[in-house]
Amino acid sequence: MNSRKLMALVNKELIHYFSSFMGYVVLFAFFVISGYFYYLIMVESHQASMQPVFQTMVFILLFITPAITMRLWSEEEKSGTAELLKTSPLTVWEIVIGKYLGVCAFFLVTLLPTFVYLALIIANGSPDYPPLVANYLGYILAAMAFFAIGLLASTLTENQIISAIIAFAMLLMLWVIGAAGDSVQGPMGDFLKYLSVFQHTGDFFSGVIDLSHVFYFASVIFLGLFFSVKILESKRT
Amino acid sequence: MIEVKDLVKTYGALAAVDRVTFSVPQGAILGLLGPNGAGKTTTMRILTTSLSPSAGKAVVAGFDVVDQPEEVRKRIGYLPEIPPIYGDMTVINYLKFVSDIKEVPQDKKANRIGEVLEMLSLEDMSRRLIGHLSLGYRQRVGLAQALLHDPEVLILDEPTRGLDPKQILEIRKLIKSLSGKRTIILSTHILPEVSSTCDDVVIIDRGRVVAADTVENLSQRLSGGKTLEVEVKGPAAEVEKALEKTEGVSALKSLGNGSRGVCRFEVTTDGSNDAREALFQCIVRNKWVLYQLTPLGMSLEDVFLKLTTKETAA
Repeated sequence: MNSRKLMALVNKELIHYFSSFMGYVVLFAFFVISGYFYYLIMVESHQASMQPVFQTMVFILLFITPAITMRLWSEEEKSGTAELLKTSPLTVWEIVIGKYLGVCAFFLVTLLPTFVYLALIIANGSPDYPPLVANYLGYILAAMAFFAIGLLASTLTENQIISAIIAFAMLLMLWVIGAAGDSVQGPMGDFLKYLSVFQHTGDFFSGVIDLSHVFYFASVIFLGLFFSVKILESKRT
Repeated sequence: MIEVKDLVKTYGALAAVDRVTFSVPQGAILGLLGPNGAGKTTTMRILTTSLSPSAGKAVVAGFDVVDQPEEVRKRIGYLPEIPPIYGDMTVINYLKFVSDIKEVPQDKKANRIGEVLEMLSLEDMSRRLIGHLSLGYRQRVGLAQALLHDPEVLILDEPTRGLDPKQILEIRKLIKSLSGKRTIILSTHILPEVSSTCDDVVIIDRGRVVAADTVENLSQRLSGGKTLEVEVKGPAAEVEKALEKTEGVSALKSLGNGSRGVCRFEVTTDGSNDAREALFQCIVRNKWVLYQLTPLGMSLEDVFLKLTTKETAA
C-alpha cells in the first residue's frame, strides 16, 4: 500500500462526487432527512441523545447507499478508464481500498450536520459522552459495511443501474434475514439473526460498545473488499 | 525490447489472438496493422497486462507480462482505444492524478506535467474540464497520460483517431521523435500511417500474423516482378503490338485510351533486366511520343488487401 497512490485515488473519488449532480442530491437528502428527524425527535422526546437520529439514519442509509456506490467501479468500466487503473503500477488491493476510502471520505461530509446537532445537545443538555461515542461508532461502522457491499455490487457490472439494484438487494437481504431468523427455530434461526445488520446496531445505539458487534462489521467490510478484489482480478482473464 | 511468442487468447471456442509471434527491437516503431476485429487491441491489452493470455509468452522491457506484471506496468505508457480520461476533471488535475498513480517523482511532477502539456500543445486547455474538450483534444490528453512518466515502451492503440489532418501530421511527427530512446507499438487501420511512421509492420488478420517485415521489404516482396505504367501518344493497336514484342516484357495490359490519341498500358517485366531503355527506344523508333514511364511499386494498401483477402478465400 502506497499512501501517495491511495491519497490520489481518494481525491479522485471526491472530485467525482462533488462534480456530479448525484453527489449533491445525496448530500441534500442526508442533510434534510437527518435535520428533519433530529428536529422531530428533539421536539417530541427532549432526550439529550443522538440515538433516535442515528437509528433512523442507518435505516435511510440502506436506501441511499446504492446511489452512492453504484458508480464506483461500473463507471470506470463503462468509460474505459478502468484500463488506466489496471495498467498503472497499482495493485488491485490499492485500487479497491482507494475507492473504498473515497466513498467513506464522502460519507464523512454527510456527517457534518450531525456535529451541529451534537453541539446543540451539549449546549442545552447534559448528555452522557460514552454512549454518544457508541452511537457514532455504530452508525459509522454500519455505513462502512454498507459501502463495502455497494462496492462489491459495482464490480459486478458496468451498468450503474444494475449495480444499484444488486447493492440494494444485498442490503435488503441483510435486513430481512433477521425476520427470517425470528420464524426459524434453533441454531439455524440464531445464525440467520446473527447475519442481520440491525441485530448488531442495537447495542451501539443503546450506548454499549461490544467487540463482538465490531467484529461483525469488520468481517462484512473485509469480505466485501476481498470479493471485490477477487472479481477485479478475475476480469483479467 | 518486446518479445511476443505464440501468444493465444481464446474466448470460449473463438481465438481472438492465435499464435501471434513478433518482436520489436529497442528504439523501433512497430505498426500493428489489420482490419477491425483482427486482434490488435487484444494483443495490446495482453502486452499492457490488462488481460492475461490463454497461452504463449510476452516479454515487455525485460519482464514477463504474466509473471511480473507490476514491473511491466512501471515501464509502459498505454493509450487504449478509448482514451482513459475523466470528463469531470480538469486536464491539470487529471495529469496530477496520473503522475501520482504512475510514480512520477514528487519533485519532478510539476515540471513533467508542463513538458507534456507543451509537447501536445495542451497548455491553453490545462484548466478546462476534459468533458468539455473536443475529440481531438481528448485524444491528446490520453496521449499525455501515456507519456507522463517517461516510459521505455509506448503502446498506442490508434493514436491518431479523432484528430484532424493537421493534428495527425503533428502527432505522427511527435511519435517519430519519441522513438530511438523508446520502443513503440502502434495499431492502426490507416495504411499511410504505417508507411510514414513505422520501421516494421506486422499485419494480423483474424488473430493470426499474415506478414511481418520492414515496410519496404513487404511491399517489394509481394509485388513479384516489376510493373511499369507507360503512356504513349500514338495509334493504340500498333503501340500495343510493338510494346509486347519489346525485349524484357512478359505481359501487357491496356489501361484504356485517353483523349488526343494517348493510350496507357501496364507493362509487367520479367525482372531480368531493366526494360525501360528498350521500351523508350521502341517508342522513339516508331516516332511516337512518350508521355509517361513510371515504375509501379505495390503500395501497402495492395499488400494489405492481397494478404487479408487471400486469407478469406482460403
